[in-house]
Amino acid sequence: MTLDQLKENESGTILQIGDEDLALQMLAMGFILGEKIKVERIAPLHDPILIASGINYISIRKADAKQIEISKIN
Amino acid sequence: MFNVLTGLNQKVGNFPGVTVDKKSGFFNVKNEKVNIIDLPGTYSLTPNSEDERVTKDCVCNADVEDIIVVVADATNLKRNLLLLTQIIDQGKKTILVLNMMDLLQKNNHEIKIQKLELLLGIPVVAINARIGKGLDELKYKIVNHKFKPTKFIDQPFSSNVIDETMLRYNKINQIVNECLIVNGEDKSSILTRKIDNIITHKIYGYLIFLALLFVMFQAIFSWSAYPMELIENGFMLLGNSLSNLLPEGMINDLIVNGIIAGLGGIFVFIPQITMLFAFIIALEDTGYMARVSFLMDRILRNFGLNGKSIIPLLSSTACAVPAIMGARTITNYKERLITIMVSPLISCSARIPVYSLLIALVVPKESSFWLFNMQGILMMGLYLIGFITALLAAWVMKSLIVSKEKSSFILEMPIYRMPRWKNVGFQIFGKVRVFLFDAGKIIVAISIVLWGLSSYGPSETYAKIDAKYTELAKTNPTDNLESMKSAEKLESSYAGMIGKTIEPVIRPLGFDWKIGIALVTSFAAREVFVGTMATLYSVGDEDNTSTIREKMLLAKNSRTGELLYTKATTYSLLIFYAFAMQCMATLAVVYRETNSVKWPLIQLVYMGALAYFSSLIVYSIFS
Repeated sequence: MTLDQLKENESGTILQIGDEDLALQMLAMGFILGEKIKVERIAPLHDPILIASGINYISIRKADAKQIEISKIN
Repeated sequence: MFNVLTGLNQKVGNFPGVTVDKKSGFFNVKNEKVNIIDLPGTYSLTPNSEDERVTKDCVCNADVEDIIVVVADATNLKRNLLLLTQIIDQGKKTILVLNMMDLLQKNNHEIKIQKLELLLGIPVVAINARIGKGLDELKYKIVNHKFKPTKFIDQPFSSNVIDETMLRYNKINQIVNECLIVNGEDKSSILTRKIDNIITHKIYGYLIFLALLFVMFQAIFSWSAYPMELIENGFMLLGNSLSNLLPEGMINDLIVNGIIAGLGGIFVFIPQITMLFAFIIALEDTGYMARVSFLMDRILRNFGLNGKSIIPLLSSTACAVPAIMGARTITNYKERLITIMVSPLISCSARIPVYSLLIALVVPKESSFWLFNMQGILMMGLYLIGFITALLAAWVMKSLIVSKEKSSFILEMPIYRMPRWKNVGFQIFGKVRVFLFDAGKIIVAISIVLWGLSSYGPSETYAKIDAKYTELAKTNPTDNLESMKSAEKLESSYAGMIGKTIEPVIRPLGFDWKIGIALVTSFAAREVFVGTMATLYSVGDEDNTSTIREKMLLAKNSRTGELLYTKATTYSLLIFYAFAMQCMATLAVVYRETNSVKWPLIQLVYMGALAYFSSLIVYSIFS
């Protein structure tokens, strides 16, 4: 599944990021393949979303979140 | 960090993109002068925006002798080491500085510095920039350290940058595991997420934002009223005593009516401008701006803008020049361009003097609605009109500018912290100083020229007026003959001639030739309007007993003889100043940021047309 399908406070493991530019940007911001990612908050108008991996905490649009493949952690 | 090293006071803030350009300074160690260049922060050497590109180019093209000092946030070691290792593998002499060690210790974390040095093969210095700890060690290492060539990963720059980055992270992970001792959870991070639950709430989030704006505008108007009155009276006193002290004549006239009147007109607004900058800078420093961007992204997208545009748009309420430079953090060129094009429509601090003066002409100070000061509400209304117009203009441009570039909104949410009041204070001081000196210089220069132009005219015409009034004085001596004479002289002075020339164009807006002169002089900077008014209405006023406002209240339209500053004319003038592009500094920065004459020209023309036609409409509605 992809990151945009997670609800608030749900987590997953980052498997792969489709778009190469996005992947590089996410990596540089501390979102590393194989590590845990959590949806902290979804904006009032349903887009963008706040996501966190460890101490790293960023905002991203749903269109970009769709590029991020994850496996959900229950 | 840069400020502590050099003793300078450059801007810092709590969101990415505060420094968008390189700044240079120097420091001395034992008679050796070390030049340093401060670069915009970046996450990696793969730039995503203009400000990051500045850093990448500067680092990659650095001289072999240059030393790159990477200032890392010690609380986020892993991510910060990525950039460091990329720079090491560029073959540059590199020093790692660990900042925010105090925060790290607060969380009971610890970094083994010596081990880190050993594993990375470069010098590592722990500092606390706030209290200046570790700086001497850093300076010493910059000057004396013998750098050995080192590599972090063996085959960098492989074709697949993602694999390369992952390779780096694997190695970094090992290093971090050995050097970082974690003894507790990160408290500030947890607190930040809790605050965000309220700040980005679907209802409270927007309410808090609106409330903050409202308090800001009320503060600008009501809290600064008393100091403003003080300054106003002070200048009047100064003008009067100088006028009595100096021998009568030309010099006296020039100083009192030209310079003092012009400067007084601008100094009055220090309290309001200080208040505005204090709010904007404090908000930037806490980390709140990133959250506003998050809340606004979806809305602003409809107007061809980006969530990140809110920072330039909001800081445009202080000044469009740094705001337009701040737009560099917007990755998408079209969104960045639209942000640049509409930012000057947001009312800036230079409009405050103009608005205040004009609003005071039509709304009495005491008048209030419920709890709120009417003048404050009108002021806020003008800001609101500017904001809405900026959005509409952006929406129009969105469909006019074609672009296929993809748009994104990836923005780090910094941890909340209290504003660093010392930093806020320094910045306010700096901004107000720039406002006073830069604007002051123009104002004094224009005041002097204007005083000259409005005191002198073609000698033939002046001689005729003199003769006419000598004649009149003989036959019909009345009290106000003298002031009638000076009024007529002003009208036929050189300045009067200029005003008269453009009067036909601006007459439909309800303006007369005196306002015409002000429009010409305030083309370079809006706030000159006030000084111009002060000078124009002081010439020929021998007693200098009343403020500009009182003089303007009595001003008559020279054609109709009725009071000039009616509601219609004043509102029309307010709208004109809200929309017109009267700022050379902004045009210059737009030229620099877009690297073309085309965009500042379009901006000048579209804002001019908007101002003219809006004023026309407003004037016809109210008259």
